[in-house]
Amino acid sequence: MLFWKRSLPVLITFVLGVTFALQYYVPHPASEALLSEVSVWNQIIAGFAAILGVASLLQVHYTKMRRKEAGWGYSVVLYLSMLMTLVIGLWSGGESEGSAFGWLYSYVLVALQSTMFSILGFFVASAAYRAFRARSLEATVLLVAAVFVMFGRVPLGEYLVYGVGQVSDWIMSVPNTAARRGIIIGISLGGIATSIKIIFGLERAYLGGGRD
Amino acid sequence: MDSIDTKDPMDSMNFARRMLSLDRRLIFLLIAVVTLLPLLYPLGLPIRVSPEVRKIYDYMESLPEGSVFLLSLDFDPSSKPELYPMSVALLHHAFRKNLKVLGMTLWITGTSMAEAVVAQVAQENGKERGKDYVFLGYAPGGANVIISMGQDLYAAFPTDYYGTKTADLPMLKDVRTLRDVQYAISLSAGSPGVETWYVYGKEKYGFELGGGCTAVSAPGLYPLIDTGQINGLLGGLRGAAEYETLVGAAGKATAGMDAQSATHFLIIILIVVCNLFYFFTGQEGRLRG
Repeated sequence: MLFWKRSLPVLITFVLGVTFALQYYVPHPASEALLSEVSVWNQIIAGFAAILGVASLLQVHYTKMRRKEAGWGYSVVLYLSMLMTLVIGLWSGGESEGSAFGWLYSYVLVALQSTMFSILGFFVASAAYRAFRARSLEATVLLVAAVFVMFGRVPLGEYLVYGVGQVSDWIMSVPNTAARRGIIIGISLGGIATSIKIIFGLERAYLGGGRD
Repeated sequence: MDSIDTKDPMDSMNFARRMLSLDRRLIFLLIAVVTLLPLLYPLGLPIRVSPEVRKIYDYMESLPEGSVFLLSLDFDPSSKPELYPMSVALLHHAFRKNLKVLGMTLWITGTSMAEAVVAQVAQENGKERGKDYVFLGYAPGGANVIISMGQDLYAAFPTDYYGTKTADLPMLKDVRTLRDVQYAISLSAGSPGVETWYVYGKEKYGFELGGGCTAVSAPGLYPLIDTGQINGLLGGLRGAAEYETLVGAAGKATAGMDAQSATHFLIIILIVVCNLFYFFTGQEGRLRG
């Protein structure tokens, strides 16, 4: 049993990881054909992963409802919403144009998601008022840069203060780019290290929990 | 006499402390008012075009008629206010230039919205589906879809969004892989998005790539402009408004800039006021200490 649950997945990861790390550098038609085939397999697996995600979500919320944990009422809402969307989607044959499914998408999902994101604008203003204070030199620099960028990114700021747009562009293009580049390099190096550990079986968190 | 001398500073400090703990509902109300008023009474201020937006426009202008332009609408309704106006402006520009438009999305919850914008703008420009534009729809897999399209577009999308076989579409007769695409733009609200298209698409299959993103994501993509990994960037509502200005099709982004101006000003005023009160309370504390 340990072979199927641990050893075989690690072996598959190693073989495929090394194969496709090398495939990138091999321009032979056989190599390209292999990539084409496996890409389609990956798309199919991704589709099944979506189903797995939905099943996992339903299981988590079912447990919440059964145990009547805090907020279990929202789990009921989730179940009902999912069921309703599924039934309406199937009844509409998956068609969105002029169908109930399309109505649900346009007038419920779009409206709710847009509203959720829009609310952030209010919270940003409130958080800026409470937290954006020049407590130290670094905080002061951040504050001044943020004010310049906020001024420079809107027409009214550029109209009132000559050159603030160019200053804002400079802040985004030079210090911001430099800092982001450092972060991207760090993340990439970390990603390479983690990938090597996964391929060589040193990192096995992806296999999930449970006893060996 | 002593009690009269100390009364005023204490009152002032109490006032400052009260202002630092201002009820956030008042702030919410102020934001709502300054956002709404410019929408009702627009200022109509000119919009300066930034270099990174200009680069995308200039590249689109340089494409010959009939070039294949891929627009990947990688966002969902939560980012619609910022990215939808970008897609409208880009599609108007592409159709005006008689480019062959290939629309798609890597985000499942954005599929219907993406289809609606492509179909609507195409109809406004008198374009015919299958001949002037194709909407592929959504396929699961993110980066794998890009790789699959790079190897064989017909395998990645056997049919388009409407169920027609991609191999039978006249527009895709000479478009078998991403190597046949002249320019691609990803309008993204996260991952998969611009970086995914660069890493798995442009770098391997050699097409030129531009990007569009929410204002929050824009600072993270500036390094890609500098190195030429993307040839330009539309950042947030401002980027969309700039592009609308360039194509001469003022829309929702341009209309929203006045509201954004007012909101930014209010936030700056709030930050300045809060810091003044913060320094005042700190100053008083140091004097008493």
